[in-house]
Amino acid sequence: MKYFLSRLPGLAFVLLGISLITFTLSYFSPGDRAEAIAHARYPEEIAFPPELLQAIRAEFHLEEPFWLQYLYWFGNVLRGDFGLSYASQTSVWDIFIGNLGETVTLSLTSLGLGLAVAFLLASLAVRHPGTWLDRAAVMLSSVGAAMPSYWLGLLLILGFAVHLGWFPSYGTGTPAHLVLPALTLAFWVMASQTRLLRSFMLEAANQPFVETLRLRGISESEIFFRHVLRHAMVPAVTMIAIDFASLLEGAIIVELTFARSGLGSLLAGSVLSRDLPMVMFLVMFFAVAYVVINSLAEALQAASDPATRTQEQRV
Amino acid sequence: MSEVLLQKGAKLPDSPLSRFKRRTGLVLAVLALGLCIGLWLTPYQPAQADFLNRLAPPEPAHWFGTDHLGRDIGTRLLYGAFWSLGLALVVSLAGLIAGTLVGLLAARSGSFPDALLMRVTDSFFAFPELIAAVAFAGLFGPSTVNLVVALSLVSWMKFARLARSLGLTIGERDFVIQARLNGLTDWLILWRHILPNVLPSLLVLWTSSWSRTILAVSGLSFLGFGVQPPTAEWGAMLLDGKPYMQTAPHIMIFPGLAVLVSVLAINLAGDRLRDVLAQTR
Repeated sequence: MKYFLSRLPGLAFVLLGISLITFTLSYFSPGDRAEAIAHARYPEEIAFPPELLQAIRAEFHLEEPFWLQYLYWFGNVLRGDFGLSYASQTSVWDIFIGNLGETVTLSLTSLGLGLAVAFLLASLAVRHPGTWLDRAAVMLSSVGAAMPSYWLGLLLILGFAVHLGWFPSYGTGTPAHLVLPALTLAFWVMASQTRLLRSFMLEAANQPFVETLRLRGISESEIFFRHVLRHAMVPAVTMIAIDFASLLEGAIIVELTFARSGLGSLLAGSVLSRDLPMVMFLVMFFAVAYVVINSLAEALQAASDPATRTQEQRV
Repeated sequence: MSEVLLQKGAKLPDSPLSRFKRRTGLVLAVLALGLCIGLWLTPYQPAQADFLNRLAPPEPAHWFGTDHLGRDIGTRLLYGAFWSLGLALVVSLAGLIAGTLVGLLAARSGSFPDALLMRVTDSFFAFPELIAAVAFAGLFGPSTVNLVVALSLVSWMKFARLARSLGLTIGERDFVIQARLNGLTDWLILWRHILPNVLPSLLVLWTSSWSRTILAVSGLSFLGFGVQPPTAEWGAMLLDGKPYMQTAPHIMIFPGLAVLVSVLAINLAGDRLRDVLAQTR
């Protein structure tokens, strides 16, 4: 807890940095924002009188200097007001909440599936070191790490949707729509976690206390399940949390590959239609989520391992 | 050490590092030669359309078949290597150089500037690579240049963190203190003593950064946010081939395979380099 509190000022600075980077990105992006807002408010109109544009510029402080605009925007963000989407004139927050579910479903399904397989593979590899099982697990995780997920997605569509016709290829809706995207993302989770779990378990299995247990005559399977696994869990949980950002990124690519609705499609759509409030909110959301989850993971690690409480944080 | 061994008349032991360098050099030379021979031998141009021979499956005249415009896929894959691997190389090198500079500067500059630089690094680090690239490339217009700029902006932070932590450790070693006492300037110490010691670990990180960036470049191009068709980038080729998946799956299979094999090869080389460096230490 003390460790966590000591990191709060740094955390606050990072959150401030994130907001500044996000604002800079939108401030320098090309296009007239007043015209975009006018388009959003009066979708039937084609041309807008200069007075109207001027009024909008005044309303949204578009002619103020960079720092003032940033402060206006940041003040609104702090009050929880993220603005209206240019595209639909509804609150950015509501649109976000509406799309969050699909992405969370996809991510959690894949995480569960991938972890289960990774766990199985890593356990087999560690209990039979040096055998073909071990080598196969390592090879599978190397291939998985190099696999472009969009390509794997297309291959799965080709095999299971086009040729076999078992699952629908594109879209959202039924649980059947979830199968292929979840498999695609789960393969990536499996690849990255098998490798990590295997090395954590190997490290735990080589600890001196394992030898002591063995000398006491405790069976190999009891050593593995009761002691080695428990020992390997802490770094594993931390790594899973740290890899959360990659999971979200993976989910976004997979969503776009399978034309699923969710945060990925929302981001791509709002970027292409220059819906600045939506883009800014999403970019900020991903960055803040990453920072918060990472800090929690670090705190967890610190709580479980006294050595990290004083150690300088490394890569 | 080596002199002692030579005096005894023993052969110099072949260090794992020099063996690694020789083998990597050989593999790279063979690959580069293969690429050049392929480009020299192929009778086609990457943008040369042949409407009488569209969507042809692999055959003697077109080893990898042709795409929806009758362009030779094999030729496009060869040219695509320059785009997919080359752009990722540029981005990862930019990240390596910028990150190393920031990290070593932070390590050298004392507590307050160090903390400031590292919090800035953390702020950039928070933006997931792909999301930042989609937002940047989308808002500023999808193009090759914007893709490279966007990915470079979010590629340097890992290097900065590693360079800083290595720089801090090495800065306290005896030979650096000795050099400082001997009156060497900061730049000379950095160049002669610190950089050679931090570079190997940074290079291991760089190989993984390069392969990750290859996936990002081709992925973003596939999603329409990167290199635009008709340029023969592998991800853009996949995008081209997607509508013809059912009738001519080879259009999308080969570019994806090219990405997979390149990334796998770079990752394995990086793993090997890490093992070799761990042995030599």
